[in-house]
Amino acid sequence: MNITRRGLLAGLTVVALNAALGLAPAHAQTTAELAAAAQKEGKLVIYGVTDNEQANHLIREFRSMYPAINVEYSNMSTTELYNRFISETAAGSSADVTWSSAMDLQIKLVNDGYAQPHKSAETARLPEWANWKNEAFGTTYEPIGFVYNKRLIPAADVPQTHADFIKLLGTQTDKFKGKVNTYDPEKSGVGFMLVTQDKQVNAAGFADLQKALGAVQVKVQASTGTMMERIASGENLIGYNLNAAYALTRAQKDPSIGIVMPKDYTLVLSRVMFIARKAKNPNAAKLWLDFVLSKKGQEIIANKADLYAIRPDVEGETTASGLRKQLGDALRPVAINTGLLTYLDQAKRLEFLKQWNSAVKGK
Amino acid sequence: MTDKTILSVDNLALSYGSNPILKGVSMQLRRGEVVSLLGPSGSGKTTLLRAVAGLEQPHQGSVTIAGRAIYDAAAGIDVPAEKRDLGLVFQSYALWPHKTVFDNVAYPLKLRKVAANEIVQRVHSALKNLGLDHLAERYPHQLSGGQQQRVSIARALVYNPPVILLDEPLSNLDAKMREEARAWLRNLIVEMQLSALVVTHDQSEAMAMSDRILLLNGGVIEQQGTPTEMYGQPQTYFVAGFMGSNNIMSGRIGDIKGGEARIDLDNGISVWGLRRTNAAIGHEARAVIRVEQAQLADAGGHNRAEVDLATSMFLGDRYEYVFHAGPDLLRAWGKRHEAPGKRWLELPGDAVWIF
Amino acid sequence: MLQTLPRRAVVALLALSVFFPLGLVIYQSVLSGPFFMPAAALSLESYAFIIDDPDFWQAARNTIAVAVGMGVIAIPLGAILAFIMVRTDLPGRKWLEMPIMIPIFVSPVVLGFGYVVSLGPVGFFSVWFSDIFGSVPWNIYSLASIIVIAGLTHVPHVYLYSSSALRNLGSDVEEAARLSGASPFRVARDVSIPMVSPALLYVGVLVFFLGFEIFGLPLILGDPEGHLVLTTYLYKLTNKLGTPSYHLMAAVATCIIAVTFPLVLLQRALLKTAQRFVAMKGKSARQRPLALGPWKWLALALILAWLFVTVVVPVAGIALRSVVSSWGQGVNLLEVLTLDHFRAVLEEETMIRSIINSILIGTLGGALAVGCYLAVGLATHRQNDGLSRLVDYIVLTPRAVPGLMAGLAVFWVFLFVPFLAPARSTLFSVWFAYAVVWLAYGMRLIQSALMQVGPELEEAGRLVGASRARVSRDITVPLIRNGLLGAWLLVFMIFEREYSTGVYLLSPGTEVIGAQIVSLWASGAVDVVAALSLINMALVGIGLAVALRFGVKLHD
Repeated sequence: MNITRRGLLAGLTVVALNAALGLAPAHAQTTAELAAAAQKEGKLVIYGVTDNEQANHLIREFRSMYPAINVEYSNMSTTELYNRFISETAAGSSADVTWSSAMDLQIKLVNDGYAQPHKSAETARLPEWANWKNEAFGTTYEPIGFVYNKRLIPAADVPQTHADFIKLLGTQTDKFKGKVNTYDPEKSGVGFMLVTQDKQVNAAGFADLQKALGAVQVKVQASTGTMMERIASGENLIGYNLNAAYALTRAQKDPSIGIVMPKDYTLVLSRVMFIARKAKNPNAAKLWLDFVLSKKGQEIIANKADLYAIRPDVEGETTASGLRKQLGDALRPVAINTGLLTYLDQAKRLEFLKQWNSAVKGK
Repeated sequence: MTDKTILSVDNLALSYGSNPILKGVSMQLRRGEVVSLLGPSGSGKTTLLRAVAGLEQPHQGSVTIAGRAIYDAAAGIDVPAEKRDLGLVFQSYALWPHKTVFDNVAYPLKLRKVAANEIVQRVHSALKNLGLDHLAERYPHQLSGGQQQRVSIARALVYNPPVILLDEPLSNLDAKMREEARAWLRNLIVEMQLSALVVTHDQSEAMAMSDRILLLNGGVIEQQGTPTEMYGQPQTYFVAGFMGSNNIMSGRIGDIKGGEARIDLDNGISVWGLRRTNAAIGHEARAVIRVEQAQLADAGGHNRAEVDLATSMFLGDRYEYVFHAGPDLLRAWGKRHEAPGKRWLELPGDAVWIF
Repeated sequence: MLQTLPRRAVVALLALSVFFPLGLVIYQSVLSGPFFMPAAALSLESYAFIIDDPDFWQAARNTIAVAVGMGVIAIPLGAILAFIMVRTDLPGRKWLEMPIMIPIFVSPVVLGFGYVVSLGPVGFFSVWFSDIFGSVPWNIYSLASIIVIAGLTHVPHVYLYSSSALRNLGSDVEEAARLSGASPFRVARDVSIPMVSPALLYVGVLVFFLGFEIFGLPLILGDPEGHLVLTTYLYKLTNKLGTPSYHLMAAVATCIIAVTFPLVLLQRALLKTAQRFVAMKGKSARQRPLALGPWKWLALALILAWLFVTVVVPVAGIALRSVVSSWGQGVNLLEVLTLDHFRAVLEEETMIRSIINSILIGTLGGALAVGCYLAVGLATHRQNDGLSRLVDYIVLTPRAVPGLMAGLAVFWVFLFVPFLAPARSTLFSVWFAYAVVWLAYGMRLIQSALMQVGPELEEAGRLVGASRARVSRDITVPLIRNGLLGAWLLVFMIFEREYSTGVYLLSPGTEVIGAQIVSLWASGAVDVVAALSLINMALVGIGLAVALRFGVKLHD
């Protein structure tokens, strides 16, 4: 009798203790519980690389759903995000959620223990390659392709594959000399990652690609925006490895922009989001993550934010499923795992850059 | 140091870096006295005044005001300027351009936390004393030079400092005004029973205004005394030459008779004069005689020499005669125009100093 | 003794504000990783890395080329301009005074951007030019272009000092030369300019120094063809290794400081010599202007041409770019006029914040900065003791630190110093960085204002019983009121022009236009950059107009 009563007391104490310490019980919280806890926190700090204009579509919807949560979104570059996040975390605490297209840097942070795990019905919906240990999540599905100036390149010349691209540069070298641009892998983390992926996916053709770019004295830039600006104005004729999602937005306003998603293989970027382990508002963060991955959030991403939705059950042209109908097997999403860490090793990175520079810039 | 001594400076020395400016100066100022610090530029007179005021930093000596030590190198006392309670009238008057005349004069009282109505009364009284009451609301740039000086004086006196210091008070005025002003200034100081230390480079100004003169040369006091003493009994060649207008000639001692000596001048003249040097017979010496003491004579005689009258210059109140005596130029004054030619010049023995 | 306490407190605070961030930078440069990571250890590997990096040497070579090239271009042009403006009877002299000053106060990023938009491969002027002549003979992205533009835009700096020196000379020596038969040009060459040679030497060192710290121009113009200078190389290191390379950046900054700090000291020594030299010749006789005769039209044409290239071209480019939706070959400008970009700016919260912040930091921040500079100035005013000399050197130090790094150092300070942390995401941190970086400039303004007060006015105050503090309060400060207002206006313009210092401090709440432009340029949002640039120039323009209206002396 005494034992069972003591046991009951102990059990109750454990539950009470759990509740008091806010530890997650064995089952995942329901959205209602999460929402309540999040609204009590009342604030959410996000660091992201997405432009304010695009992010605002998501934020506005989120705020209308949960008006008690004040969302503070900071837009910064990928390295700035990384630098600031680790500095601030070392000093105490930083953002609750980070959202960056520098997939390798995000994985590094997660691998170094900066993230906390989260599991929910929404996270379960993601394809396997887009969810790493329930700590890092891919939220978009952005194809990478060629962007060109429609006014200055005749339709017949427009390359449909990487091989076409190399051939075009090879046969019309004079026309394209100094008029092709791409990311500067030294200045852009994303750009670096894309060319290393190129090498991985298309090891055989990579050397030819570098040679072709070198032959036309490719101009390197630090961001998609700059590249597109130069293409739209005609200063450059065609760009390599640009974010097609961005280009699409631009093309809607500017008829001179043309986009190609290569049929042999198209790399796909996914913006990685994770919740900081030291987050001051962890519940709000989890609620946000679930929202971004929810059908509603993904629909906004696809239709309003001019990004591509990753969630398989969202339909439309600017979604993963839409792309799959177009390109099928050619799609090569960059997997979110520790494979991304390879080139963060200083020696390897510098080795790659040295080789790139000598092949492409002749240095 | 009697209890009538209001300011006492003892062996004060001051250097700018390695350059000594004051080399051990001592002086006293008695209550109600006007003392002038006189000297050529670079003699240290302004530096001495500023050191007393606390604006310069000596490294040795002491300064005492009304029995209270305000600087004492040995005892480590150095009262800051704002606590010395002295009045200083600057050469440039240093009126604050952004304050009215009233505010300029009231400021020292404000600093001493005097009650507002008392300030008004005392300031107006000080201004009235100097004939400036009607200018109380004007700004300094609206005043003439003379008015500005009076405001500067009013400001220095309004808080009744024991000593008032004046730095070249008359040098900003033109020559005509200076003569009137020096009388007025002395009168003001005496009437108000002030004790004043005045710096000037003009010896006639010093003599006109002061009870005593301190003549500085190269950072030391060469001689101090009443104006009569300084003018009539110079103790050194420098003092003799600085005061008055002089004829100066060089030669050698020819003969010595007690307090007198005969000097055989290089220009050939020999005169007897008051011996002010210990040089022996045969040694070099100089003869100094005031221009007003040299007289034209009708014939030769004791201490008379035949010289060449070169020209008579009309100066308005008198004629100045210029003589050639060998290579020397001598001057004398007289009432008439004299034609050039050989003339006799008397240099009275009791007016010649031999240094 | 009590009155030395506030003085010592001011100096101590000053020293702390300057040396703590600087110390952090140098400390960071001898670590193997970010200083706040426990794994970081003392090591010289950062220096080893940059010495091994060919980019570093390229950047160093380019920086020297730019610094020297700037001097070669700016000094002769500036000196001749000064002579023409100060000593001759050039028509329209009075009207030219203001436009000549403009390049000093335009933000270099804005300027660089303006050149891209005007003279770039598909810039407005380039397109018009190639329509008429068939092709464009210049390449705006070449190192030569960067040097030329840098040189031309620094002519006003040379002009400022040379004209001030010339103004202090008597005209009799030049008139003597004219009477002996020398033409105005020969007078300038053989008499006037040699006589201001100490001032020119100072200015030469100054321009060389400025060459080491330019950032905005090479950032925008050097990027496409990969021409690096040391400051843009530092900026590039933010990214090169993928993960933060704070230690590398600190190492580069330390190398830059190793060169710029001696230059700053040299400048100070030369300035003192130049001032002494001029003071000796202080016979300010009435200066009669030299008649240029027929040369005057050539001179005027040259000056207008310089103004056109240095001011009109980039400013017009920006103005145009901010009101068109598309540009380049084949686009008819009249069809694409729009106010959308401004609308976009004014609808975006961060943009509005950056405009408001910029205004705040210029007006309130400027006033606060002037107040702090005044406090330091008063602490050393008329007291030539060791403390004052120390302050002299402390004040020079931040000048030697590249703005980019200074901002980053302030970011660290505000991040890790506990009681400052809450202020980090406020404008205060940006203001602090600005105030420290421009310390030397502000101090010079304050000191020249303080010099205007005759020492006797302050001595008189002390004699009647006011302590030094009261003298400052009741006498000195009221008398320099106009000087303080002038200083405030100049500091306002300098703060508006600032761009590099705020880059690493950028966060919600601390956006300022300059840093925002750098960040937006990197992400390619050129439309918004154009609109913001125009707003920035308008702000500076207002400040400049007010300054000239009130006769604020722009030169020392």
